[in-house]
Amino acid sequence: MSETKIKPYEKPENIINPNSEFSIEVQNLRKVFRGKKGYDDVIAVDDVSFKVKSGELFGFLGPNGAGKTTTINILIGLLKPTSGIAIVNGYDIYDSISHIKELIGVCPQEPSVFKFLTGIENIELFGKLHLMKKVEIKDRTNKLLEILDFSKASRRKTKGYSGGMLRQLNMIISLIHDPKIAFLDEPTVGMDPRARRATWEFIGSLKTKSKTIFLTTHYIEEAEALCDRVAIIDYGKIIEIGTPQDLIKKYEVDNLEGVFMKITGRRIMEGV
Amino acid sequence: MNTQRILALLKMELYKIIREPAYLFLMLLFPAALTITFGFAFGDPELGMSFNFMVPGLFAYACIFIIMTVAQSFADFREQGLLRRLNATPMSSTDFIMANILSNMILSMIQVTIVYVLALLLGFSSNSDSLGILFAFLLMALFSLSSVGLGLITASISKSGGTATALSFIFILPQMFFGTFIPVTNTTRVIAGFLPSYYATDALTSIFNGDNLLSANILIDVAFIAIFSIAIVILGILFFKKYGNK
Repeated sequence: MSETKIKPYEKPENIINPNSEFSIEVQNLRKVFRGKKGYDDVIAVDDVSFKVKSGELFGFLGPNGAGKTTTINILIGLLKPTSGIAIVNGYDIYDSISHIKELIGVCPQEPSVFKFLTGIENIELFGKLHLMKKVEIKDRTNKLLEILDFSKASRRKTKGYSGGMLRQLNMIISLIHDPKIAFLDEPTVGMDPRARRATWEFIGSLKTKSKTIFLTTHYIEEAEALCDRVAIIDYGKIIEIGTPQDLIKKYEVDNLEGVFMKITGRRIMEGV
Repeated sequence: MNTQRILALLKMELYKIIREPAYLFLMLLFPAALTITFGFAFGDPELGMSFNFMVPGLFAYACIFIIMTVAQSFADFREQGLLRRLNATPMSSTDFIMANILSNMILSMIQVTIVYVLALLLGFSSNSDSLGILFAFLLMALFSLSSVGLGLITASISKSGGTATALSFIFILPQMFFGTFIPVTNTTRVIAGFLPSYYATDALTSIFNGDNLLSANILIDVAFIAIFSIAIVILGILFFKKYGNK
């Protein structure tokens, strides 16, 4: 009698939990930068835990150097954590970072675009890196350029762009492939008020398309106006987490700045 | 490795060469200017050094400068945060480096064509047939691999584009003095034996002299260039992945 072979269970492409209601799950995450000879170690992220629901606009709020960008860099695979767990869309950052990179869009804090290319050429390049078809890239590019009122400038080489224009292009590039999860690291710094408002409206509109957005900012009004929930981080530790309204109510203050001040005795903008 | 990604990055690299005046000068105008200068300076046989003797060295010399542009370009991209941005996409390091290798191979072909056409106009005569010339061009494409590898190593140890430019001369100068158009003595030949440009120049000299392409001399040179180029480019990729891609 021949033996029946039982096929071993295979996890679908390394996914940990395909039915998870959370897009991002972080548990006891820690990042220590080892100090060079004679210098102390720097604890950039200190035992951070939080969860971001799918379709949520989550704000990561804190002064400069609080650990916001380090956390993002770990979640997008640019930095390895010292310890802790981080799962993005059900994938573990340790062994499935290539799957994660296909699902995410990253808008870095410093605008990084190729100066010898035009705005459109930059957008096309990143669309192709995400294996989009030519027609898809064209349609999506036109849509994004129109929304952000950027069509005219996009035909020029980026060398002559202002800081605000570079930031707008920076964000369009990060969203060209219609990512499931967008990491926006201080997307509106250096923008003029008009461009900032247009960007806010645009980020707000992403919420209606069930995108998960992880937004770091030190602009209190930005976080209050846009975010479903915020985590306040200081010296690498999360000091409070909740909806802006709940936090304001809990600490009996006027805004999130007041929340931060009540907990730390400092203003968020002091570190900026 | 993905073809669409490599082609997209290759297009970007080629735009860089065309649109950045510094690259355009160094990669295309500089070899042209050098050939014209040497053509006029050594075109007179009474000077004792013939222009024909120098042309193989000029071919190699043009390709050596790829070290500087690769090093500078990678270091600049890193400084401007572009490597980090690219790393946040599904693109692999291999896609990026492959696009660089291809763009520099194309570039080396263009450089060699410029040098060859100008040299012919200035009186260079070769005993080689068209197959030999084609072989010489392909040999330069292979040699350019070693320049890309050395450029990657330089970029990995450089903190900025400026440093990369300066450090690239560690690899450019020895290859220039001991392996191109400057005649080697018995002493300098020992050093030259460790440099791929020496074998490239030697092979080109034999090809332009009309030697059989399957002669032992040429085949040994080709084997050395291939071994050097592949080893250096692998080393360059490993260096860059470990230290330069941050």
